Amino acid sequence: MQQFSVHKIGPEINIGGVDLSFTNASLFMVISAAIILLFLFVGTKEKKIVPGKVQLIAEMFYTFVAKMISDTAGSKAKPYFPFIFSLFMFVLFCNMVGMLPYSFTVTSHIIVTLIMALFIFIAVTIIGFAKHGFKYLSIFVPSGVPAVLLPLITVIEIISYLSRPVSLSVRLFANMMAGHTMLKVFGGFVISLGLLGGWLPLGFSVALTGLEILVAFLQAYVFAILTCIYLNDALNLHH
Amino acid sequence: MKIPEDFKTRLKIAKLKIKKQDQLDSEKRGLFLGGAFKLGTELVSAVAVGTIIGFILDSWFDTKPWLIIIFFFLGAAAGILNVIRAANKMQKENNK
Repeated sequence: MQQFSVHKIGPEINIGGVDLSFTNASLFMVISAAIILLFLFVGTKEKKIVPGKVQLIAEMFYTFVAKMISDTAGSKAKPYFPFIFSLFMFVLFCNMVGMLPYSFTVTSHIIVTLIMALFIFIAVTIIGFAKHGFKYLSIFVPSGVPAVLLPLITVIEIISYLSRPVSLSVRLFANMMAGHTMLKVFGGFVISLGLLGGWLPLGFSVALTGLEILVAFLQAYVFAILTCIYLNDALNLHH
Repeated sequence: MKIPEDFKTRLKIAKLKIKKQDQLDSEKRGLFLGGAFKLGTELVSAVAVGTIIGFILDSWFDTKPWLIIIFFFLGAAAGILNVIRAANKMQKENNK
């Protein structure tokens, strides 16, 4: 579909055989990041005791993420707040910018979400090994399992651990892509049914747009909270 | 019949309270929806990862198609384990 196609903008950049051209996907990532920066800059410029609208929203995001981290990963995860906050804001704003007509949804491409998920996965694994050394491997060996079943359970645990980046990335990508495709399909119905029958799918389109905005927020939330949960597993062994 | 003034204000306060509760409930419902979205992919992705591991090991050891079958079921087991864990966690949070 046209709205999912990636095309180059400007000159082709080729460094060492790797195509690094600026595409519309990169453009919308830059736009999302710029909106976040602008929004937080305006929101934190005037530090009033009684906050204005923008400051209030910025503070709400801050407390929302801070509470999420302390609820799921405990106080040990405090140093990772900047990372999780940036992650949450980036995913949220990419999803929301994608809701605008004529825009491009970066998170509806699996390569984008997979890279983010793999980064989280590798980072969490490194953090786990750095904090606990080889004792971190004990997450693959649950306690209280009979010795006969231990090899089987360990293999299952390893598969379960390896499935984390896949489920993390596929969830975000599939939800965004499915939502946009559904909107497109209903939009197509409006055109093909014309003035006479087009009103019903038009109503559905409006309702689905509302649902999509909810999904856009929820998926950013789920993405961030799962990162917190994985971080919790790495920081606090045997929870 | 004339409604006394203090009854009116009491009614207003009670209505406000109900509205607040409704708002809280709808916020919670949103979070539950997030949990529900989570469970589906949790199951499928583990099966996919298990099958891929089985496929890779099969082509390494030339044992087609045995390892892919075994790892498919191991993956399914891992997926069910994932879902049970996630559900347990959600339940714990609810009871808090």
